Amino acid sequence: MELDTFIKNFEEAVEDVEVGSLSGNTVYRSLEHWDSLAVLTVIAMVDAEYDLRLKAKELKQIETLSELHALLESKQST
Amino acid sequence: MPKCRFSDVKISGIVTCVPTLEKWIDDELELFGGKVKQLERLKKTIGLHRRRVVDEQTTAADLCEQAARYLIEQSAVEPSQIDTVICVTQTPDYSQPCNAAVLHGRLGLSKYCAALDVNLGCSGYVYGLWMAHTMIASGGCERVLLLAGDTISRLVNARDRAVAPLFGDGGSATLVERSQSSAATFFSLHTDGKGYENLIVPAGGARQPCTQVTAVAVEDEAGNFRSPENLFMDGAEIFNFSITEEPKSVIELLKYAEIDADAVDHFVFHQANRYILSNIAKRLKLDIAKVPMQTVERYGNQSSASIPTAICGELATALADRSSTRLLLSGFGVGLSWASALVEVGDLAVCELIDYTA
Repeated sequence: MELDTFIKNFEEAVEDVEVGSLSGNTVYRSLEHWDSLAVLTVIAMVDAEYDLRLKAKELKQIETLSELHALLESKQST
Repeated sequence: MPKCRFSDVKISGIVTCVPTLEKWIDDELELFGGKVKQLERLKKTIGLHRRRVVDEQTTAADLCEQAARYLIEQSAVEPSQIDTVICVTQTPDYSQPCNAAVLHGRLGLSKYCAALDVNLGCSGYVYGLWMAHTMIASGGCERVLLLAGDTISRLVNARDRAVAPLFGDGGSATLVERSQSSAATFFSLHTDGKGYENLIVPAGGARQPCTQVTAVAVEDEAGNFRSPENLFMDGAEIFNFSITEEPKSVIELLKYAEIDADAVDHFVFHQANRYILSNIAKRLKLDIAKVPMQTVERYGNQSSASIPTAICGELATALADRSSTRLLLSGFGVGLSWASALVEVGDLAVCELIDYTA
C-alpha cells in the first residue's frame, strides 16, 4: 500500500480538503473538517479501496496519516 | 444460520401510513451550530433532506391501525378471516400489553386469533414476514396481518446530530395468506448480539428503569446531547456492520435460491440513509436503478416501516403493471439483527402509501 496514494485517497474522502495539502505527518484529527462524517467517509474509503475494516475507535487512537497507513498495512498482512 | 424456503404462501396487500408533519434539515441549521458547510456536506454525502414525524399524541399503533383499516377495506378479506396478528415495533403504546393485542381490539378481530409483538427494528419487517410464512406453512393459520411500525423520532434527543435528523416515523400493514399457486419465497436470518450496544435505548427497561437521573441529557465528546432514555447510535460501527454483513447475506440468499442478481427486479433495502444504501449497492455491483432509495430522503429512516414504505412509495406502479415482481427485501440494524427475503409479489390487492389523519 503506497503512502502517497493513501494520502490522496484520504484527501478525496474528507471533503473540502485540498488535494496535495496533507502529508504523512499531518495530525488528521486536528483538521478543520475532521468530524463524525469524515470518520464515516474515511472508513468507507478504506473499505472500498483496500477492502479493510477500520474502526472508529482506531481512528480516535491514532495521530498521523503515516501511523494510520501503518495500521492499515498491518491489517492487510494479517 | 436459518435459511428456508416456502411455497403456497403469498403477500396479498401492503399499505403504509405516514404522518403529515414534515421536517426539513434546512430548517435545522441551529442544530449544526450554524455551520452551513457541515449541513451541506451531510445533505450531499448522507443524503439527508426531509422526514415525516408524528406529533406527541400519535403512536406507531395509530399509524399501523390506519394502514390496517385501509388494507382490510381495499382487500377482499373480512376481519373475521384474520387468524394471527403480528406487530413488529420497538415503540409500543405500553410496556404491556403488546401492541398486537391492543390493535386486535381496535380493529375488531375475531377471538379465534393469535396476537403477539416482535421487538425488532430495521430487520423487523423481514422477520415478521418470515414468521407469517412459517405460521401459514405449518398449517397453523390461513391469514396473517403483519403490522410493522415505529416512531423513533420520539426517542431521539433533538440536540443529537448523530440521530435527530435521520429518523422519521411510519406504520404499515401487510396481509400474508395461503395461496396454492404462489412461487417459492426464500429467507435468511442473522443476529450478532455482541453488537447490541451500538444501537440502543439504555434506560426505560428492567435493566435501567427511568428515574430523574436517566431523564437528564448529557453532552458527549462530539457535542451532542442525549439522556439514557434517548436512542444512542454509534454511526461508524453501524455503518461498518451494514456494509460488511448486508452484501454478504444478499449474496448468500441469492445463492441459496439459485438466482442471479440480474433476475431480481428490485432490491429493497431498509432505508437507513442514501450513503449506506449506495455503499451496499456498490459492493454488490447492483444497477442503482434497481435499488429504491428515495424513501429515506422523503420520509426519514422509519425503522421497521421503511421497507413497506419503499415498496408502496416507489414500486407501486412497477408492481401493478407487473414490470417488477421479484423483490429482494433486506433489513439490518438494532440487535444487531439482519434478515433478507426473496419474494414474488404478483397480484397485490392494494399497494399504497397513505397520509395519517388524526
